[in-house]
Amino acid sequence: MFRVGGTVPFMDPTQATREVFWNIEYTWLVYVLMVPTLAVFGWGFWLKIRRWRAGQPAIRFDRPAERLQLFLRNAVGQGRTIRSRYAGVFHTLVYTGFIVLFLATTVVAIHHDTPLHIMKGHFYLIFQSLIVDVFGLFVLVGVALAAIRRWISKPNLLVYTDEASWILVTIFVMALTGFMVEGWRIAVTDDPWAAWSPIGNLFALASDPLMSDAAMQTGHVVIWWFHLVVAFGFIAWVPFSKMSHVFTAPLNIFTANLDGYGGSLKTIDFETAERFGINHLGDFTWKDLLDFDACTECGRCTDVCPANTVGKSLSPRDIILDLQGLMHRQGDQFLLNGNGNGNGSGANGSDELLPIIDQKTAVSPEALFACTTCAACMEACPVHIEQMPKIIDARRYLVMEEADFPEGMMDMMNSLESRQHPFAGTQFSRVDWTEGLDIDVMAEMDDPHEAEVLMWVGCGGALVERNRNTVRATAKLLKKAGVKFAILGREESCTGDPARRVGNEFLFEMLAKGNVETMQRYGVRKVVTSCPHCFNSFRNEYPQFGGSYEVYHHTQFLDQLLESGRFDGHDAAGSSNGSSTITFHDPCYLGRHNGEYEAPRNLLAKVGGARQVEMQRSRNTSFCCGGGGGMAFVDEPPDQRVNQERAQEAVDTGADVVAVGCPFCATMLDDGVNARRGDRDVRVRDVAELLWDAVGESDQAAP
Amino acid sequence: MKLLVCLKQILDPDVPARDFQIDPAAKAARRGGANLVTNIFCENAVETALQFREAAGGDVKITALCYGESSAEDCLRKAMAMTVDEACLVERNGNTNPEAAAVGRVLAAAIRRLEQDGGPFDAVLVGRESGDWGVGQTGGLLAEELGRPALGFVESLQPGNGGVTLRRQTDVGIEVAEAEAPFLVTITNNEDNVPRIPKTRDVMMSYRKPLQKLSLADLELDSEEIRDGSSIFEVEEIFIPTDEVECELAEGDTLEERVDQLAKRIHEVVASIG
Repeated sequence: MFRVGGTVPFMDPTQATREVFWNIEYTWLVYVLMVPTLAVFGWGFWLKIRRWRAGQPAIRFDRPAERLQLFLRNAVGQGRTIRSRYAGVFHTLVYTGFIVLFLATTVVAIHHDTPLHIMKGHFYLIFQSLIVDVFGLFVLVGVALAAIRRWISKPNLLVYTDEASWILVTIFVMALTGFMVEGWRIAVTDDPWAAWSPIGNLFALASDPLMSDAAMQTGHVVIWWFHLVVAFGFIAWVPFSKMSHVFTAPLNIFTANLDGYGGSLKTIDFETAERFGINHLGDFTWKDLLDFDACTECGRCTDVCPANTVGKSLSPRDIILDLQGLMHRQGDQFLLNGNGNGNGSGANGSDELLPIIDQKTAVSPEALFACTTCAACMEACPVHIEQMPKIIDARRYLVMEEADFPEGMMDMMNSLESRQHPFAGTQFSRVDWTEGLDIDVMAEMDDPHEAEVLMWVGCGGALVERNRNTVRATAKLLKKAGVKFAILGREESCTGDPARRVGNEFLFEMLAKGNVETMQRYGVRKVVTSCPHCFNSFRNEYPQFGGSYEVYHHTQFLDQLLESGRFDGHDAAGSSNGSSTITFHDPCYLGRHNGEYEAPRNLLAKVGGARQVEMQRSRNTSFCCGGGGGMAFVDEPPDQRVNQERAQEAVDTGADVVAVGCPFCATMLDDGVNARRGDRDVRVRDVAELLWDAVGESDQAAP
Repeated sequence: MKLLVCLKQILDPDVPARDFQIDPAAKAARRGGANLVTNIFCENAVETALQFREAAGGDVKITALCYGESSAEDCLRKAMAMTVDEACLVERNGNTNPEAAAVGRVLAAAIRRLEQDGGPFDAVLVGRESGDWGVGQTGGLLAEELGRPALGFVESLQPGNGGVTLRRQTDVGIEVAEAEAPFLVTITNNEDNVPRIPKTRDVMMSYRKPLQKLSLADLELDSEEIRDGSSIFEVEEIFIPTDEVECELAEGDTLEERVDQLAKRIHEVVASIG
């Protein structure tokens, strides 16, 4: 601490700088070494780009303004990375440290290799010395935190590879040796501006009593070159390690799907497609292949995966990593065979392209058919990898090319094919629920155009006993609000969602086209449905088949009616929900897939003074009921039930009503809550049922 | 080898109870909102034939034959999607006579016609019974018409030594038989002949495959032979059974009294039934 100002009585900060390459000879060697470094770096990325380009086309450079915004938010701003607190902290430390240190190196290069001698004065002191030192410390601390997690606390979500450990070691060594050379330089040169480099100065102060100037000077040279070699080696290694995410992740975020998870499935041209679905890497789009290379192995996708949580073999992270490994292993063979003829053209078996679906990997049929398509993985991914559509692509192959799928899905598809609804053995017809309600059916109306709104009932609403009360409540509420609506009755068919999610795109397309045709016949423009799966199909998928409608989930539509005073005078009076506590379970296809979190909560807030509590996993991190992706039709092993996991969470809130907005959630959570509620009276009710209780019952009291 | 599988299109037996309607005048089920599907045992027969072809290693040709309305084309297309090689529809043209003897005669005539053109069928597979009337006699009567030996309740066909090995379900267990062509079997279901879901490409291809259509006139059957408009039996009445539940509570002030009352009533009810 005597060093500060100790040798120079007056210092002019405008003249502050330091000598670049102090104590270093043969500096030309730096430039010589840089050539192979950059060559390997460039070659590595060229290999990657070449592989991506072997993929099928995808339009992912359109809408540049939106892409830039997403890029700024989630790449530059690390929007998703910081959602995880611990990882968010250390990643931000290392990430910002890297940027600042890179800028500092750039400043040195400009200062030294161009006529612009910018590294001086206050800029030198404040940025190049103080800020750089602080951010260098960030890197050290960040890496240390990461190392504690990787080597000591060892959470399940990480992949424990030597590569990952070596990356931490290398970065730590780079930062540490950086401070060592800075410290020894300060110590030996008696740098008058030492105080501006606090960490380096600390090192200088620590070394001074222990080492002679000569020893420090020698150490400086050795460590300086060591630092350089490690740094150059690291740069060359980047494209071949998961550090490539420094470039692939921002690119992946820029080229992300902008249309939401609900619209993320590709259509198939059945007339021209050589294969249906994907079983070879070459059938993926370039963006899918980029996804594989963008993975940082952070494991958040698998951590939030409902199937994985209850102990099933599905792990979205491992699917991506196994496909990444396959892509890297197949190398040039993949490029040669990539486009179109996925069967491979090699002369012997070993040259043939390996199938992606493989019992021995994470991409096993069993794992693929455990996916509920809830998109939690995609929402959790900091770099916007699209796991779920790839799972569907592989399912499509299994279903359409191999006819290989779980038994429950088979019954469901058989029923869809011959009865246009997935509930084999239902005791109800599509109109039974209307008994006593006097509801218009379009086919029976003199002028179907009089109906302003089509109430799309959905198979889950009309044909499942438990949900008929939901659609009755919805219809009664619409009537009460004076909405002119009608139903299609027996002319309604499944929207095809369950078929599409299990991978039977052909069946989905047939059902979708049929429905579009029916709705066209009646000139339908506005649709209200209490099924988020139907809602998603209409909103995001039917436009591809010529059916564009104004689509509302019943909670959205009822919320609008409520806001505009259409239920006034009945608001919550005499409600039976007065003293209850409600927790709302976000349906995946309403929330994550379509971004609607508020409408159902607004409605619940109006339900007779009931108190709302949130489950730990809610809104965009909501945990699936287990019923999506065709899983509602599959018998899960008793110890691996997603619905019970979710029901437990709902029960744990202490709520006596679990509010839902989806017929599948309703049945799944009904079963789950009954298994997990213990002695407590916990009921699963649709938001519409609760609203009807609140505004409908008072109606009876009215004259 | 050549196999022929007979198919029947029926009203969906899984129709919700409330959607099932009866036409009292025609004394038959009314279509209403119900779908038309392939009779399940016929689909089991298709699956059994396909599995035989797979076991035999390819040198087997399967033809599907249906006597039905033009809508029954769907059943044959589905059979072709399941990879049956050829299909033939004998158009029924409004003759709704369910009588098995008449149906057997039509099928026999169609089979003979197909054999004229393409050589004899080694085996004819017929579903055990249909899910609508459930008479279960078409197979036997068709065998009679064709002059073939027949075996009922067969669940699988396997290539055997020079012939075909059959497994059939009996009251006392599984019977294994060796059969030499030509023969006829009726097929019942077991866990191994659950009809497969066709691959999508095969579904698409099934609509591009030719489908032979024959009329009753083509088969030179007169209306006497197929008993058009008449039958050896008559449907007297057809109705949907209703469940009627009468509930009566045993009365009394004490448990003993109520038990006595209950026992008394049981005696009375049993006596009244006789």
